[in-house]
Amino acid sequence: MPPELKFTSANFQTEVIGSDVPVMVDFWASWCLPCKAIEPILSELAEDYKGKVKIGKINVDQNRKIASQCGIQGLPTFILFSSGRVIDRRTGSQSKSQLKEMLNRVS
Amino acid sequence: MSAYSMHNQDKTCWNCPAIDLAGMVDFRACGQSLQISKARSDDSDTYILARCKRNPGLGVYDPTTITFAECPEWIERPYGYLLRDMRVMILGIDGYLGWTLALWLGNLGIKVSGIDNYNRRNWVKERGAHTVVPISRMSERLHAATSVLGIDINFREIDIMDRARLAEFIDEVKPEAIVHYAECPSAPYSMIDAEHAILVQENNVLGTLGLLFIMRDLVPETSLIKLGTMGEYGTPLTGRPIFEGIFPADAILKWDNREWSLGGELTPRDPVSFYHVSKVQDTFNVYESCKYWWLRSYDVMQGVIYGIHTDQVAADERLRTRFDIDEWFGTVINRFVAQAVIGFPLSIYGAGEQLRGFIALEDAMQCMVRLIASPPDPGQYGVVNQMSGYCSIRSLAETVAEIGSQEFGLTVRIQRVENPRVEADIHPFEPIYDNLPKEFAFQPKVSPEMEIYRMFELLTQPSIKQRIEEKKHLILPRTWWSGQKKPVETLEVIDEVEYAPRAKVYLS
Repeated sequence: MPPELKFTSANFQTEVIGSDVPVMVDFWASWCLPCKAIEPILSELAEDYKGKVKIGKINVDQNRKIASQCGIQGLPTFILFSSGRVIDRRTGSQSKSQLKEMLNRVS
Repeated sequence: MSAYSMHNQDKTCWNCPAIDLAGMVDFRACGQSLQISKARSDDSDTYILARCKRNPGLGVYDPTTITFAECPEWIERPYGYLLRDMRVMILGIDGYLGWTLALWLGNLGIKVSGIDNYNRRNWVKERGAHTVVPISRMSERLHAATSVLGIDINFREIDIMDRARLAEFIDEVKPEAIVHYAECPSAPYSMIDAEHAILVQENNVLGTLGLLFIMRDLVPETSLIKLGTMGEYGTPLTGRPIFEGIFPADAILKWDNREWSLGGELTPRDPVSFYHVSKVQDTFNVYESCKYWWLRSYDVMQGVIYGIHTDQVAADERLRTRFDIDEWFGTVINRFVAQAVIGFPLSIYGAGEQLRGFIALEDAMQCMVRLIASPPDPGQYGVVNQMSGYCSIRSLAETVAEIGSQEFGLTVRIQRVENPRVEADIHPFEPIYDNLPKEFAFQPKVSPEMEIYRMFELLTQPSIKQRIEEKKHLILPRTWWSGQKKPVETLEVIDEVEYAPRAKVYLS
């Protein structure tokens, strides 16, 4: 199951930048096989970090302005935001422990 | 209609073949397309829009806003929402699978078209064999489909290698899904000699490559459902799981005190004949096309298929699908039943402990409809391992022997013969086949026992039994992977067959 939260251009400002809790955003696209493969792990993490970090995904093809603003040039890219600031960002497939390492920086 | 079968209800116009993508569609990977976006200084927020071909009055809109469940063009059917009067083209429509699928789809109200050049009929004839279940000429098949089932099939005799004519037909029909069965499916045929190996690879690899270019130019929104084979993976002696084409994200490579997720990488392939190599090459060509051009494809890694029955092919003798038993085109379970019917010991190669995935014909048809009903995302290359269970070749033979003797009063023996192939007789086998049940709500309906019983019912009919007798000298292999052409020696005849414990057959 993919993570519950789907970010879009319409809610990015309120759900990500203006969020009260830290947010990890998975920038993905349908042609990106690692992006598809990582969905179950993100779902598990979303459950594990519930209340501590918000985890969601945004499709870069459907939301190119946001992708452009965030300087996305490779997929998947994971950006960890806290209080609207970028705390960490990584491009390329990540293991669960590597993602946890990111998340633990803010939780 | 249960919610369970509506596996595709949340798909949107993003997946629908009946839309044109519009707006700033840029097919390159995001880094490259980002540069273009910046260069255009375009402040428009939604870059990719949809235009519905079936309802142009909707104008141009966000393709993620209308789901299949909400769209009046997608209607509830037994295997998910199906596009009303969906146009599906089957390449290789005269074959064992192609013809069966044509009738199966037609019965669901799908507008079926198809091509074939009768290669399969000719290849079997080349061996001196024949389909033991007689099949009609295409003109009679088409006539019977209309008169018996009310299914009109738009057929054109075209070789997949004839790109000009194939393109013309695709442009005329504008199929919304293409099922690609137009490949030579025989490992032994590809191992006969250089001429045959080249023929198989040319037809399969270059035929598919040409098709991909045609789809790019004429029908880029159409999904391609391409038949692969579990034989692409081989049986890795490391014993690692045989994933569905792609590593999951929790597959980790640890090396030099560091770790990497392998998630999303194509898994290694270890094909077992030049035919299987052609399928591996196809995999890469299709995968690349999805990446370069946003084509959409499911690669169907099919296990050993067996069986003879669907309600449609059984509706009339003229609608029957072919059933081959010769060394080149006979597949293992079908061949076992034919051997049992004429008292010919069932021949297992080597130890017979090779483990293989399998699926009944009718279940395979169900899978194909579910895949057609749930098109991939733009650019998505998806893989499914299409099988309903797995077991050893020996236990399959034992199951056939048990049903043949207990239900049909036959005396059935099993023989072990030399293995003409280069393959491990005993090996680990850990196939993963979750995608079809989990993502497409596939549930196998046909147990091996049920389908084997139905095969016995048909094959024991005197006229068909006679046709098996006529070609029984072509059953045992003479085509060796070494290049030799010689009969295999019998290693052992098992008179007292121990029947396979049912637990050895793993139905999901």
